[in-house]
Amino acid sequence: MKTKNATGVGNAIDRVEGHLKVTGEATYASEFKVENKAYGQGINSTIAKGEIIGIDTSEAEKLKGVLKIITYKNAEKLKTFDKERPVLATDSIAPVLQSNKVHYYGEYVGFVVAETFEQAQYAASLVKLKYKEDATARFILGQNKDKAYNPSEESDHKRGNLKKGFSEADAIIEQTYNTPIEHQHPMELHATISSWNNGKVLVYASQQIVEDAVISISGTFQIPKKDVRVVAKYVGGGFGSKLNVERHLIMAVMASKMVGRPVQATVTRSQMFTNTGLRQSNIQVVKLGAKKTGELTGLLHETLAYTSTTQEFQEPCGSMSKMMYNVANAAVSERLVPLNLQQPFSMRAPGEATGSFALECAMDELAWKLKIDPVQFRIKNDTQEDLSQEKPFSSRLLVECLTIGADEFGWNKRQQKPRANKKGNWLIGYGVSAAARAAPFNETHAKVLLNLTNDTVTATLQMDATDIGTGSYTILAQTVSDCFNVPLEQVVVELGDSDFPITPGSGGSWGAASYCNGAKSACDNAIAGLKKNRNVPKDEDVSIAELLKMNQITSYESQSLAKPDSEFEKHSIFSFGANFTEVWVDKDTAMYKIKRMVNVGSAGKILNPKTAYGQVIGGLTMGAGMVIAEQTKVEPNFGNFITRSFADYHVPVNLDMANVDVIFLPEEDKIANQMGIKGIGELGITSVAASIANAIFNATGKRMRDLPITPEKLLMAEVEDGVTV
Amino acid sequence: MRPFTYTGTTNRNEALKAFTTTSHYLSGGTNLVDLMKEHVEQPDQLIYVKNLQYNGISKNKDGSYTIGAMRSNADTANHKDIRLYYPLLSMAMLSAATAQIRNMATNGGNLLQRTRCPYFFETSMPCNKREPESGCGALNGVNDQHAIFGYSDNCIATHPSDMCVALAAIGATVEVQKVDGGSRKIDLEDFHRLPGDKPEKDSNLEPGELITHIHLAKPELSNHYAYVKIRERSSYAFALVSVAAGFQIEDEKISKIGLAMGGVAHKPWKLIEAEEFLLGKKPIESNFGKAAELAMKDAKPFEGNRYKVPMGKNAIVRALMQANNIGE
Ligand SMILES: Cc1cc2nc3c(=O)[nH]c(=O)nc-3n(C[C@H](O)[C@H](O)[C@H](O)COP(=O)(O)OP(=O)(O)OC[C@H]3O[C@@H](n4cnc5c(N)ncnc54)[C@H](O)[C@@H]3O)c2cc1C
Ligand code: SF4
Repeated sequence: MKTKNATGVGNAIDRVEGHLKVTGEATYASEFKVENKAYGQGINSTIAKGEIIGIDTSEAEKLKGVLKIITYKNAEKLKTFDKERPVLATDSIAPVLQSNKVHYYGEYVGFVVAETFEQAQYAASLVKLKYKEDATARFILGQNKDKAYNPSEESDHKRGNLKKGFSEADAIIEQTYNTPIEHQHPMELHATISSWNNGKVLVYASQQIVEDAVISISGTFQIPKKDVRVVAKYVGGGFGSKLNVERHLIMAVMASKMVGRPVQATVTRSQMFTNTGLRQSNIQVVKLGAKKTGELTGLLHETLAYTSTTQEFQEPCGSMSKMMYNVANAAVSERLVPLNLQQPFSMRAPGEATGSFALECAMDELAWKLKIDPVQFRIKNDTQEDLSQEKPFSSRLLVECLTIGADEFGWNKRQQKPRANKKGNWLIGYGVSAAARAAPFNETHAKVLLNLTNDTVTATLQMDATDIGTGSYTILAQTVSDCFNVPLEQVVVELGDSDFPITPGSGGSWGAASYCNGAKSACDNAIAGLKKNRNVPKDEDVSIAELLKMNQITSYESQSLAKPDSEFEKHSIFSFGANFTEVWVDKDTAMYKIKRMVNVGSAGKILNPKTAYGQVIGGLTMGAGMVIAEQTKVEPNFGNFITRSFADYHVPVNLDMANVDVIFLPEEDKIANQMGIKGIGELGITSVAASIANAIFNATGKRMRDLPITPEKLLMAEVEDGVTV
Repeated sequence: MRPFTYTGTTNRNEALKAFTTTSHYLSGGTNLVDLMKEHVEQPDQLIYVKNLQYNGISKNKDGSYTIGAMRSNADTANHKDIRLYYPLLSMAMLSAATAQIRNMATNGGNLLQRTRCPYFFETSMPCNKREPESGCGALNGVNDQHAIFGYSDNCIATHPSDMCVALAAIGATVEVQKVDGGSRKIDLEDFHRLPGDKPEKDSNLEPGELITHIHLAKPELSNHYAYVKIRERSSYAFALVSVAAGFQIEDEKISKIGLAMGGVAHKPWKLIEAEEFLLGKKPIESNFGKAAELAMKDAKPFEGNRYKVPMGKNAIVRALMQANNIGE
């Protein structure tokens, strides 16, 4: 699309919703003015496996303001799972309080409704539960490898002859990489206000995918979809945790029906650890073989992860290993172990964030073994064909990302030998990694309403898309502004309401591409319709105001959709990137700082460099968090998480972080979709951890294969064989 | 949160009079209120003491300083005389928490902040400190943040304060008002205690005693000083291990020294043997290394915190080296 105006697509404009946000006027889920609402608070189990054998609510019931205490004994009957451990999806049902069984520590076992939030919280703490504990509970992945099973035959990928591949190799490395449980922790707590009216329920909620929330609620309560309306106007971050409906929402909907009043439920920050999803821990084995000259001959990537005992989810750690390099012989597989821990689900770049850590560290290990420059090693194994799908890439600028990044970063100053670059107490290291993230594009519907008053056209776009803090409002306003060639001020974007046309929601890096193409199709459809009515040739340049006048109307409505075409299906469609990191490690304290990062991405058309930059910076920081400190620690005897607040679940602070340079390569991938857009939200986090870990190796000579790389681990680690201290 | 009554006063005697055994003094609230939200502390009454007139910083005749218990950590650490005469204290205090928390937190509250042991915070877990006789969850659980010195089978927790580590190195006494009106002074070394068979007791304060002042020893360690804090991120994290070191040099030898460690025991851990070893010695790396060996020789780590022994040694040497270089 040609940029016709200074605020259209491609311009780094400020967020259109920015002012509303900084002035507090943007309404998040718990901020809608709803009359007469009551407050609900979930009660969490304090055992990991067993049965509830007694409930004493007498003390809690005596408290002023308490309206209802719901447990499995008096809860409404909901749809429950009809098979063992069904796969968790974004539209899954979310039954809760349906039996006296406890499956993990922190599971909801009750819900208290009271006049105020404080009363509900206090009452919840007074409900006394008696349990019969089951001592067979299991918590630690590494200790239960024998319980592993294959969740789906299709996810196993094999090509070529791996044995032969490794026999042709001059050098082989085989290593195990561990990543811990992590939590998404969007800034906005999960929250809902639910109210029933004439058999219909209105749910204000913090959800990434409005349509799937509707499906989930209607499925759980067994009511028609048309009786459920979900509104998520602003979402204060999701990172995957708000893809599906969590159980506080179901309890609020249930409670609202039982007390006959709207019920608000906001989970606490510590319940964000126990009840709103997490990234599962993984144990990954990667084996790579290559010729002296650097050609890869074999790749094995096996992942072991945990799932809960009630539902199944596997983040696809092998997804990048399947398609990244030109290696004829490969095997990629994933296995699960059911544990008595909270059900895992997607967290930003599920699979890629963690899988890339294993793959890209292994690539660095093999490059070092072969004494080949790790940038060159990756370039040598570039491929323009996705060997796992046997399809060409729609576009792949990985080599450009690597070479431009290396230039920008000053990679040529890197010492190949670890511990060779020192300054005072500091050991300085450089690291690189390559990244790829699928760039999905999903069917998206949109509606535009045109209004002409005094020669001025206002275009209102409506879709059930969400803005999870990424800037959807802004890029959609830019798209509409471009399509009708009207200034941004004449565009109104209305999102996040299930009364609007259906979109795939925000997640999986499909939002921007899907939303914008959907919006464009509705706009194009409006123009085409107006032209057709008056027999205006398709390519004639007539302003939208003129078109409305010619039609002698002051308002017009058009709805349309965009979806992948056959070219899309014939290609493998990914965004690519390269990360370069300089890290300074204190030789005695093992504390380290990320001094500099250069990130180069090729992610199709950049709709707004400012919001795109924000996405990548956020991704890089989250990737750095994986290395610096993020981890949820499991108590080995009781199965609770001992990291339970931001005081002990550490995310990076400003001082840890770097000067970050983000470069987008100019690219418009018309095979991906009409507007040439690819996803960017998850590319930013992918492989970041590896580039830092590789820099730490270059600095210290220590291979850190367990995330996070804390000072205590780094200090205790041995220098690799062959590195001179 | 459990309901409680709140008594606000600007009058010391009123505060003392209001005290009952189920009361807590509330100062900055950065520790107490958190623990109340977690139902770990369940007072019936909060007596707000931050407005009592104990927020000054004054110089005594002998050149030493007295700091008020209700003064904020930020205002103490940034006071010009503290920066000049007690730079080690200032440095340690500024390494703690975040600017926002330091603005709220007070010196008295800092002395009495409770352990960060995760079992202490989770009321469903066994913890002798929170609930005597319930057991120690950390002993056979996650104990990577725990003590390597001075613990008992009843409790292996550490005292989390940075300020107190510097105070231990410098030397200080804590002045308290008793409920009956009298006052007494407690040497900092005797203020905090080891867990023994009473891990529920962090300090030797009697119920109702109100901290009013901290008297600092004469400022004799301000030329060569360093606070080294090793932690999991560059700010807003408690120490894995920390070292406060201050010394003076006369005739190229160490003539006066204060050394203490944090993150290793139930109280700020004075490194007495190392101090004695270094007195009269040259401030050189080999001596520092020997002192570090001495300091750590009796360490008894657990499964999860073995790292604290080498880390502790490195931190001691680094702190002493850094202190030595500062004067040059
Ligand atoms: C997230 C987080 C991170 C932190 N990181 C660090 C860190 O890195 N290093 C560090 O050293 N500290 C850290 N802190 C702790 C902080 O320093 C303490 O919470 C603070 O110093 C306590 O002071 P306060 O005035 O807020 O105490 P309060 O919370 O008001 O009180 C604490 C206790 O002291 C009692 N008390 C208070 N004043 C008096 C008095 N005058 N007389 C008698 N009793 C009194 C109270 O009754 C209560 O039992 C952190 C805290 C938080 C929340
Ligand atoms: S170490 Fe102390 S505080 Fe921690 S669980 Fe044991 S008794 Fe409680």
